Amino acid sequence: MSWLTPHIGTQLVDLGSALLLLTCFAIVAQRRLSACVDLFALQSLFLAMTAALVAFLTGTPHIYFAAALTVLVKVLVIPRVLKRVIERLNVTRELVMNINVPASLLICGVLVMVAFFITQPIMPFGHLLTRDSLAIALAIVLIGFFTMIARQKAVTQLIAFLVMENGLFLGATAATYGMPLIVELGVFFDVLVAALIAGIYTNRLQDAFDSVDTTRLSELKE
Amino acid sequence: MTKEQAILQAIALTLAQALVLLAVSPAIVGLIRKVKARFQCRQGARVFQPYADLAKLFRKQPVVSTTTSWIFTATPYILFASTLTAGLLVPAFASQMPLNFAGNIIALVYLFALGTFFLILAGLDAGSPFGGMGSSREAIVASLTEPAMIMSIFAIALTAGSTNLSTIVHKTALLEGIVTDPSPHLMALAALFIVALAETGRVPVDNPATHLELTMIHEAMLLEYSGRYLALIEWASAMKLLVFLSLIANVFAPWGIATTLTPMALSIGLAVYLAKVAGLAVLIGTIECMFAKLRLFRVTDLLGVAFILALLGLLFFYILRG
Repeated sequence: MSWLTPHIGTQLVDLGSALLLLTCFAIVAQRRLSACVDLFALQSLFLAMTAALVAFLTGTPHIYFAAALTVLVKVLVIPRVLKRVIERLNVTRELVMNINVPASLLICGVLVMVAFFITQPIMPFGHLLTRDSLAIALAIVLIGFFTMIARQKAVTQLIAFLVMENGLFLGATAATYGMPLIVELGVFFDVLVAALIAGIYTNRLQDAFDSVDTTRLSELKE
Repeated sequence: MTKEQAILQAIALTLAQALVLLAVSPAIVGLIRKVKARFQCRQGARVFQPYADLAKLFRKQPVVSTTTSWIFTATPYILFASTLTAGLLVPAFASQMPLNFAGNIIALVYLFALGTFFLILAGLDAGSPFGGMGSSREAIVASLTEPAMIMSIFAIALTAGSTNLSTIVHKTALLEGIVTDPSPHLMALAALFIVALAETGRVPVDNPATHLELTMIHEAMLLEYSGRYLALIEWASAMKLLVFLSLIANVFAPWGIATTLTPMALSIGLAVYLAKVAGLAVLIGTIECMFAKLRLFRVTDLLGVAFILALLGLLFFYILRG
């Protein structure tokens, strides 16, 4: 492994995080719900690859386990559940948004800069090879949060929530080489249950209002 | 090597590059059409069909409307000349272009813009409604691609430490300096690829296979052209496509290009160049079959993505250097 210097390792981890951010922007720009789900699965795959790379570079075996769980839960199970939810809905794409796509993209660009300026004073004190990814992880969390505000459909809001979770996972991996295994397990279980509940809740929403627009929920009914 | 020899070598290299651009560009268009035809389960025309089309058009007599001004007849020559000049600034099979003193990567962008500007004027010149419509659409697309292209180019120039294309390609090919940082390059590559599709009128933005459709952009501006004028414009468009493909291939993956001027290195460089450009052409053909053309008002979304990607490339240069 003579070619795998720490410098190249850092760059590979950076590349993985950059790909995660790239899929984030693709999700923001995408209007078709099923394509959003596919992009989320792709992002989770990139996340698992980055985590596996960190595990390989640092020799911490429990990150391998977290990466495998990411593939199982976020690449296979949750997208299947979401696809099934979308099949039942009468919408295939998001037509009305609170903020249109070009403006959302620009705002997300600003959010990346904000994340960069927030983490800039901290980063030089880090000594881990993943420290540059912290800015990207924070940016992904912010973009996920923004997407939850900018979109009206329950399915896209759920995907945005999962994107935020991906950002948190990347941040934990970047800042501390991953949380203890028991915490990771708990988080995965939570995310899985949250996705299932939100899927059921979306179906109930569809039945009750004939729409999955969450702004309808602000109208109280007797 | 004496001074005369060096000058002769530079002239020979420039001429060789011009010949390669002129000769290969119609084949690239033919290759994309062939790939599309095969995907659609058609036999398709031969890869070399565009040469025959060009030859036919050059033999035909051009018809020029009496209402047009000098702009209409001058535009094909301006477009052809500016595209060929732009092509000579991009290293194709040798990394050090002799003309690299004449213009950097920003000059390249504005050489393309010059051709586009005159094409827009020519579209308006004949006074046909289609031409004006095509011109206004082309102006929208051009004004949205320009910032994305400039930003992605700055991202590349920052990592290479120079705006000179020959220097960028030469440094990357020899893995010198900080050019091996992949993240800004990846973002800039994605942005430049979208820009290339938009600028050369390929599928998500414009459909090159349509005539007389309300959605057309590039073809609408050419409706009044015939004979050798049309041939020049078609050839220039093919060259523009080839120059963009060379830019993408050689800025982001220049390995194999001739870094020295020995006959062996040059022939390897030429073979690798043709393989890379053909590969990209197949990719474009595949994309054209997989995606539908976007509605005109959705094009801003796509070009917004390109702009943001280029901006991110620029940001990553600062973020990831830690």
